Amino acid sequence: MIRNYLKTGWRNIEKNKGTSTVNIAGLALGIASVIMIMLYVSDELSYDRFNKKADRIVRVVFNANVNGEEMKEAVVMAPVAQTLKNDLPEVVDATRLAKSYNNRLDYNGSYYGQSSLGYVDPNFFDVFTLPITSGNKNNPLNKPNSVVISETLAKNIFGNADPVGKIITVTNRDEQLNVSAVMQDIPENSHFHFDLLVSTLGYAQARKTSWMESDFFTYLVLKEGVAISEVEAKLPAINKKYMGPQMMDAIGMSYDEFQKDNSIGLFLQPLTDIHLHSDFSDSTTLEQGGDIKYIYIFSAIAIFMLVIACINFMNLATASASKRSKEVGIRKVLGSNKNQLIYQFLAEAFISTLVATILAIVLFLLTLPFFNQLAGKAIEFSSLLKPGYLLSLFGLILLITILAGSYPAFYLSSFNPLNALKAKFSGNGKGSGIRSGLVIFQFVISAGLIVATLVVREQMNYIQNKDLGYQKDQLLVVRNTYLLQNNEDNFIQEIENDPRVASVTHSAFVPAGESDNEVGGIFQNGEFLRRMYFYNIDENYIPTMGMNLLQGRNFSDEFGNESNKVIINEKAAEILGFGKDAVGKTFQRDTNEGLRDITVIGVIQNFNWKSLHQEIEPLILKKNPYGGIIIRSKTADMSGVIENLDLIWNQFHPKEALDYSVLDDAYNYTYIKERKMGTILTHFAVLTIIVACLGLFGLVTFTSEQRFKEIGIRKVLGSSATQIVALLSKDFIKLVGISFVIAFPLSYYLMNKWLQDFAYRIDIQWQLFLLAAVITMGIAFLTIGIKSFKAACANPIKSLKTE
Amino acid sequence: MLKLNHLYKWVKSGGKRIFLLNDLSLNVKQGEFLSIMGPSGSGKSTLLNIIAMLDEFQEGEYYFEDEAIHQLKPKKRTEIFNENIGFIFQAYHLLDDLTVYENIETPLLYKNVKSSERKALVADILDRFNIVGKKDLFPHQLSGGQQQLVGIARALIIKPKLILADEPTGNLNSKQSDEIMQLFNELNQEGVTIIQATHSESNAEYGSRTIHLLDGSATKL
Repeated sequence: MIRNYLKTGWRNIEKNKGTSTVNIAGLALGIASVIMIMLYVSDELSYDRFNKKADRIVRVVFNANVNGEEMKEAVVMAPVAQTLKNDLPEVVDATRLAKSYNNRLDYNGSYYGQSSLGYVDPNFFDVFTLPITSGNKNNPLNKPNSVVISETLAKNIFGNADPVGKIITVTNRDEQLNVSAVMQDIPENSHFHFDLLVSTLGYAQARKTSWMESDFFTYLVLKEGVAISEVEAKLPAINKKYMGPQMMDAIGMSYDEFQKDNSIGLFLQPLTDIHLHSDFSDSTTLEQGGDIKYIYIFSAIAIFMLVIACINFMNLATASASKRSKEVGIRKVLGSNKNQLIYQFLAEAFISTLVATILAIVLFLLTLPFFNQLAGKAIEFSSLLKPGYLLSLFGLILLITILAGSYPAFYLSSFNPLNALKAKFSGNGKGSGIRSGLVIFQFVISAGLIVATLVVREQMNYIQNKDLGYQKDQLLVVRNTYLLQNNEDNFIQEIENDPRVASVTHSAFVPAGESDNEVGGIFQNGEFLRRMYFYNIDENYIPTMGMNLLQGRNFSDEFGNESNKVIINEKAAEILGFGKDAVGKTFQRDTNEGLRDITVIGVIQNFNWKSLHQEIEPLILKKNPYGGIIIRSKTADMSGVIENLDLIWNQFHPKEALDYSVLDDAYNYTYIKERKMGTILTHFAVLTIIVACLGLFGLVTFTSEQRFKEIGIRKVLGSSATQIVALLSKDFIKLVGISFVIAFPLSYYLMNKWLQDFAYRIDIQWQLFLLAAVITMGIAFLTIGIKSFKAACANPIKSLKTE
Repeated sequence: MLKLNHLYKWVKSGGKRIFLLNDLSLNVKQGEFLSIMGPSGSGKSTLLNIIAMLDEFQEGEYYFEDEAIHQLKPKKRTEIFNENIGFIFQAYHLLDDLTVYENIETPLLYKNVKSSERKALVADILDRFNIVGKKDLFPHQLSGGQQQLVGIARALIIKPKLILADEPTGNLNSKQSDEIMQLFNELNQEGVTIIQATHSESNAEYGSRTIHLLDGSATKL
């Protein structure tokens, strides 16, 4: 029987080539999208789950609100790990990790460049599942300066020789590391990646007892069956116990008094939440993670694509019901019961789905490299062949079969055989109401996605062109000129001699991309106000960056030592309560030698020195040139400047290649997530409208066939082609129009939510909706118009002769 | 075999009842070959459809082999129909996408007959109707007479007790028509009860009894 269902199903598909093509093409696109997004999402969700104790590991994080400054940090104080392990019976184990920046490796006099290095507690390998392949497997970090290196690094440095027992030097710190073991490379889907894990036993920071500075990523292993909230509830007391006394010393305020107007505390974050649910300040995160929002958005898009394709299937099946009604009648008279007919129609849906799935897999294979590039992933085709995925793929086929097939199956099989045989049934009535609803739904999604795409694009455009308070174009950044040591000034001199260079400033503080960071406590009249960020700059910084000095003056050599002078931004002036005349006002900052008075010599216009996701924060610029340099080129084409820069660099420091970045690129990279999402959204919006229009095309084809005779009569009576096109299209155009009424408010609401992520954002204007309407309506009308125009132009004699 | 008592069927049009069947009573015995005659619109098809349990009636009683059909649920009615009755259409109503063989096989599939048994039954009937050579052709490749032959074969495959034929030769020429009637005669000889609706006197004469319908009532039994 099943064979018979499949056989007749296949013949039906063959017979109705047009409809089947629309159905299968739409489903194939939908399924291919689902496969891709399924693999993408499951990759994102798999982060850190390779750890055997993943369910029990939590990260201790720090949240605070101090005098209006929101602090979210993924690092906590050095003693937290040991304290929690000692004081809380629920904590089985605790380990720490500190990321080290700038690690230049040297082995046997050969230089191996930058590498990623982390300092970890000796028990790190007990907490995280990082298999050791050779060397000391039990306790590889039990000695100061012992290091576990990754297989890749081992191969790079030692080739096939045994690395265990060898000494690697971190040249810029002159640190000797003794390789005690080799570990497998840390999996892609880990929230941290290091090539070297060095024992904290020799790391001075690790022995700090301060509860006032945060340096360590701290992970706990909880006892089995213990709820996170249970442990979290005990943290405020611990914080008070240990931080309290130190706070008194540092800011002269008791913990309780401080907590009255502020909140400060430790919290726990499940390990498996780190990748997708982190919103900690950039300077305290290990790697840029994913975002659960995008997981939801992409999953929703995949589901929508699929539903739209299924709707095509349903609509075309019910619209062409009159074609099938005779068959239903005969089969019923021949003894078929309703269920048997339902199975038959489901079998047809199953075959279409199966064919579509095969096509989708081919499509997936062909577009995978493109998708990987788009999503920044390395998903392989073979991963689809894992049993789990194959099973879900099969489940998907069944789901689509039922989703797309059951409504037509129940609908068609319920015909009264007599009416069906007489073909009294015309395919209208109840069916057409539902059909209209489904078409509206399809276009709600399509128009909604188009609005979303336009909003994202406009926001990206805005980001690109916003007045940031500095000129981001034509700037080159070299952040590691400190390597040149005493030659740094000569190097700068040489660059300034290049006629293509407008100016050079000596600073490693960059408003976009990687930057040095300095933060310190600000006091007014001896009272702690809040923390503020500092920029260490020289007198060339403000003109080179193209920033605007609003009051006072720039730093200048004329005034001798200016170490107690600062320029502040408008925001800082506002918070400090200086109003319009800040120049000459003083306040204090916390230094190692206690509070120090500083005087404001100028106020600079607010500039976006953090990403546009965040409001501009108070900033203090002080004269303390060190670190890197920033070069302003006179021309937009900077290749000449870069070439020359490389040449000069090699004269001074041939040991290492020049490491520079273009500020504009770094700026754009800040919004890589949004940019990616914009591109992906655009592609899927296009796909969605294609699939929706495929369905529309099918429906119009069907209607014009059904009204073939009517069209003929109308033409004989003198109707013009345009009138016929209008006759055939107006119902569909109406549906698309109705869909706007639903789609626009909905997308307005949702996209405004998305925009909330940006402190600096566009307002969604009505013109955008107009554009979306024109695009959607245009495409829909084109689809309908072509088909109905063809019908309208047919010779009327032909249609009338068929009777 | 079947008994109709005072059957009424009407449709409402503009508040007035239009009777399709008007106080019709009919008794058909096992082994009869009954012809129903009458002009278009006299209710022949309606009567056949009611006998086939495909259509409902408003008043009256219908017994099929002592089963009170008018009291049964639609599902049970369909079951009785599927077990006992073969239906032959004027327009053949073969399934266009199926071959001759598959068309004939279809009712067996719906009765869940085993594959080997199906093969044997279909082979028998193809043989009997002399259409073995046409078994892989599709309906549109056959002449009208051949299509109706297939239609009859398909109706007979379930070995029905009763065959209902609604103008079986209406679309055929007289030679083809005679052949089909011959076949009906043979089947009747073998014990199959047949009720046919027809316009043609000559066809009606093949039957053992004829009733005439006019405006939903029997005029001559």
